[in-house]
Amino acid sequence: MPYRDPGTPPLTSPQAYLGWVARGQLGLVLSASAWGTCGFVATALLPYLLGRVLDHGLQDGPTDEVVRGVLVLLAVGTVGVLANVVEHRRAVENWVRAAFRSAQLLGHHVTRTGDAVTVELPTGEVVSTVASDSLRVGEVFWIVPRLLGAVAAYLVVAVLLLRSSVPLGVAVLIGLPAVAAVLGLVVRPLTRRESGQREAAGRLTTLGADTVSGLRILRGIGGEEAFAARYREQSQRVRTAGVAVARTQSLLDGLTVLLPGLLLAGIVWFGARLAAAGTITPGQLVTFYGYAAFLTGPLDVATDALRILTRGVVGVRRMLRVLAVPTTGAEHDGPRPAERNRPLSPDPSPAARLRPAEDLVDERSGLRVRAGRLTALVSADPDESAALAVRLGVLGAEHRIEDSLVRLGGTRLAERGLAEVRRRIVVAESAPHLFTGRLRSGLDRGGDADDAALLSALATADAGDVLDSVPHGLDGEIEEKGRSLSGGQRQRLALARALLTEAEVLVLVEPTSAVDAHTESRIAQRLGPARAGRTTVVVTASPLVLEHADEVALIDDGRVVARGDHHSLLTDDGPAGHRYRAVVSRAEAEDSTEEEENRAPSRR
Amino acid sequence: MRLPVADRGLLREQTRALLRAHRRPLAVVLVLHGLAAVAGLVGPWLLGRIVDAVVAGEAADIVDRATVGLLVAVLAQAVLIRYAQRAARVLGETVFADLREDFITTVTRLPLSTVERAGTGDLLGRTTNDIDRAQHSVRFGVPRILVASVTTVLTLAAAFVVDARVAVALLTGAPLLVLTSRWYLRRATPAYLRESAAYASLNGSISESVEGARTIDALGLGPQRRARIDADLREAFDAESATLRLRTVLFPGVDLSFVLPVVATVLWGAVLVGQGTASVGAVATIAVYALGISQPVGELIFWLDEIQVGGTSLARILGVGLVEPDRSPGSAAPDGEQVEARALRYAYRPGHDVLHEVDLDLLPGERLAVVGPSGAGKSTLGRMLAGIHPPTGGSVTVGHVPLVDLPLDELRGHVALVTQEHHVFVGSIAQNLRLAAPEASDAELLAAMDAVDAGGWLGALPEGLETAVGSGGLSLSPAQAQQVALARLVLLDPHTLVLDEATSLLDPRAARHLERSLSAVLAGRTVVAIAHRLHTAHDADRVAVVDAGRITELGPHEVLVASDGEYAALWRSWQQE
Repeated sequence: MPYRDPGTPPLTSPQAYLGWVARGQLGLVLSASAWGTCGFVATALLPYLLGRVLDHGLQDGPTDEVVRGVLVLLAVGTVGVLANVVEHRRAVENWVRAAFRSAQLLGHHVTRTGDAVTVELPTGEVVSTVASDSLRVGEVFWIVPRLLGAVAAYLVVAVLLLRSSVPLGVAVLIGLPAVAAVLGLVVRPLTRRESGQREAAGRLTTLGADTVSGLRILRGIGGEEAFAARYREQSQRVRTAGVAVARTQSLLDGLTVLLPGLLLAGIVWFGARLAAAGTITPGQLVTFYGYAAFLTGPLDVATDALRILTRGVVGVRRMLRVLAVPTTGAEHDGPRPAERNRPLSPDPSPAARLRPAEDLVDERSGLRVRAGRLTALVSADPDESAALAVRLGVLGAEHRIEDSLVRLGGTRLAERGLAEVRRRIVVAESAPHLFTGRLRSGLDRGGDADDAALLSALATADAGDVLDSVPHGLDGEIEEKGRSLSGGQRQRLALARALLTEAEVLVLVEPTSAVDAHTESRIAQRLGPARAGRTTVVVTASPLVLEHADEVALIDDGRVVARGDHHSLLTDDGPAGHRYRAVVSRAEAEDSTEEEENRAPSRR
Repeated sequence: MRLPVADRGLLREQTRALLRAHRRPLAVVLVLHGLAAVAGLVGPWLLGRIVDAVVAGEAADIVDRATVGLLVAVLAQAVLIRYAQRAARVLGETVFADLREDFITTVTRLPLSTVERAGTGDLLGRTTNDIDRAQHSVRFGVPRILVASVTTVLTLAAAFVVDARVAVALLTGAPLLVLTSRWYLRRATPAYLRESAAYASLNGSISESVEGARTIDALGLGPQRRARIDADLREAFDAESATLRLRTVLFPGVDLSFVLPVVATVLWGAVLVGQGTASVGAVATIAVYALGISQPVGELIFWLDEIQVGGTSLARILGVGLVEPDRSPGSAAPDGEQVEARALRYAYRPGHDVLHEVDLDLLPGERLAVVGPSGAGKSTLGRMLAGIHPPTGGSVTVGHVPLVDLPLDELRGHVALVTQEHHVFVGSIAQNLRLAAPEASDAELLAAMDAVDAGGWLGALPEGLETAVGSGGLSLSPAQAQQVALARLVLLDPHTLVLDEATSLLDPRAARHLERSLSAVLAGRTVVAIAHRLHTAHDADRVAVVDAGRITELGPHEVLVASDGEYAALWRSWQQE
């Protein structure tokens, strides 16, 4: 545990999925069932043995026969104890395997889908498939062996009863399933109400987490009371839902006492009459009573099983929705299968390193990114150049490689396959995600860069101060989402991480939007030398960065309308030059704003 | 510096207070469950009577009466259990609702400096994991423990009433029971805490993988993320194995301690019956009690360990209440709207001042831009001016009253702060906005959104203000989130505003446009704008340059540019031409 490869489950139906998991751990399921049966039957035999001892007549004190009977009782009891603990171990193993395999399948799948998973499903829902639904699958495998054991014990008791008294045996044989069926009627609405409360409680937890994450914002505007009021409102909703559960649950609790109790009363009445008539012994009467009391055990298991199986199927259905999100294919269609489990770049083959760098061409916009150069994309609407940049690397659920009109070295990206594209072209967006963990592994995905390489990338990104602010430097921990860092610090770390990919083509979208002018200027100066000999695309409108670009392309309405270096475009007398100045010159920025407002509606 | 954790004494005291506060329903639960347990004991007792009657050959008289008695007992027990369980669960729900609401109220009042020193992770863990864990104990554990204890005690008592000499045999299982459960309980809490920490970490990793799915795709981080998930699963597996080992000792120990009394009762009963000092019926009754007691005692042990885990969580929840408040609201009312800072000092760590004796008078109605290199203390100054932290030395006053002497809700009527943080709260856009003004009408909300240039995209949303945003809802771009934050400020309408990089996530031209729209709405308000984009300074009435914790230059843009100091250099480098 965990599995090296969790495998590929059928996604056709919850039943098919559960069957697939069961086949994977069949031996364990059977072993748990066997031990469960053994334990239950041993426990069921206790009343029988007790009755026999009592029948040997206690009047004469502890005779040999009584002692023998007691020893048998002890022996069977001990076997039951041992069988129960072995069954528990097997059941937990079943639980863990099924639950963790499901969690692993889900956890691995979301790393292969790209953002398609978030486009199709809310994040919280995906997380809860791992946090709760996969555990429900485990519960199914925990309860099924117990259920089998319970059914076996019930049959044993019925047979023993039949041997003493046919009417009693028949009564139990029919009575118990009837009781289980009635209880089943309550279990379904109960399961529904419980899931209602769980949902409400989940929202409450989200609100709680929200309070903490937004505490600084709340403090700034004094929204604390309003927010606490919202929390209280939802908390009361959870309480109300809980009270509804309590009503149904207590009904079930009452019925669990009442129905077997009635069965018990019937058995005692019938048995006592037989005993009075001398047909059965007093010991057998005690045995009957013991059976009836024992049978509540299997009954509890049966109602639990019904509840768990219902929830399990619902859980699997939710899991299947996540597993059905298609993968990007970036990790599957690569030409070298051996590489699949490795980070995809830098390209490890020496031959590939020697390959002459290739131009990147987008036919739709007319953009040509020349190999080994630093190209800047500028547009009046920053979303437009950003979208073009992302398209160059076919990133995100909004792009399909089959539709891409981008060529690398003259070959369409669709022909090269997504795996090769990801290996050679890396797109770093402006709001990238930092992951929890050591700074070192957060920066270097392959884990093979040495300290010098890491420090040099951090220096290029002017992120030395981040290194100082994280305790233990490179080996220090980054909190979730880099929460302990400022926006500018996060952005510079993300830039360093992008640089460390050493990608043949690196596309940076607004890499300096959250840093001050001094820092931006330093980064701009260092970026070119750091990427020397490789292809770099930067989306920016900052003159500090544009100044250092080998080539600037001005994008308008989806097309490249002008190209040249920063100074030649600034001094251009034509309409393109005017347009360029309008976009990048800060002194004139205000003049064009009104016009832009009307022309460039937000994309979101 | 972690947040405090309540010690045992306080935990006990608070638990007792909680139980006292719900005295009546608690008494109802106990009485109902006691009666139910008594009704449950009738069955074995009647069985013993029947056995004795059969042995004596007088069974015919008693059977029907005994059966009617049994039926009544079963009926009574069922009804009592029904209402007792309902009352117990409702009590659990109510107690826990009170507990978590108090907790959140405490959280919203925590001094920010304490939370930041401890790390938000600590508080977040208490708000989510600890609340979840404690609620399991409080909502289900407390009622079940009450039931199990009542049943156990009454069963033992009944056994002793039936025949004390026979009942002594029931205690044979006790030594083994006590030994194994003590052994187990001593080890259980850390083991289960490790288990839930492992699951929390797994859920965190999954959540990050989902939120960062696009980044994972872009940078080929898949293998790294999968390795992390596998590591989390391995840890969870190890933690599960550890608790399983503990139960491998506990279960047979406990189970065996329930077999022993049955055996002992029969054996000892035989001795007594042989001597003629006990009846077979009494032995039968007590033997059946011995079989029956295993269920409540087993449950008790199961919950004792859950309660321990819940107790640790409860201690962390109650511990938050121990944080000393960082302000003590006085009764002085501000005289005017003038905000002044005098000899202001602040240190996040003692001895490391990030602000040195700063003096600053805000002129009512002015727009002051604060610029300077990263780490110069701009944001700290902004937070002081908004009364977020009490200063280490010196003072910030509004109308001659220190900001930290004002009650929080009154303070926000004077000064408010918006930062670059783009957190969107779960709920509708309207709910997000009403945090600042709970009474605002929809029209006012729309007007505020228009004032921050957000009317366009808001209007394009089919559900408008009612659109669900935040985790699980529509995800707003950082720029949109910042607009929502600024719209809140418009609704709050204090006379002094501190904007700390509040437009930094918008593209430069949109930012500048927004700032101008905003200043039209906020005409007459005092605005302190901390910015790294210098056009903010260019547009301001005055500019303050902060460097190394001091204000080094202060004056209108033109004057500073003309004086050819630090600001002038900055402006030229920024301007480029």
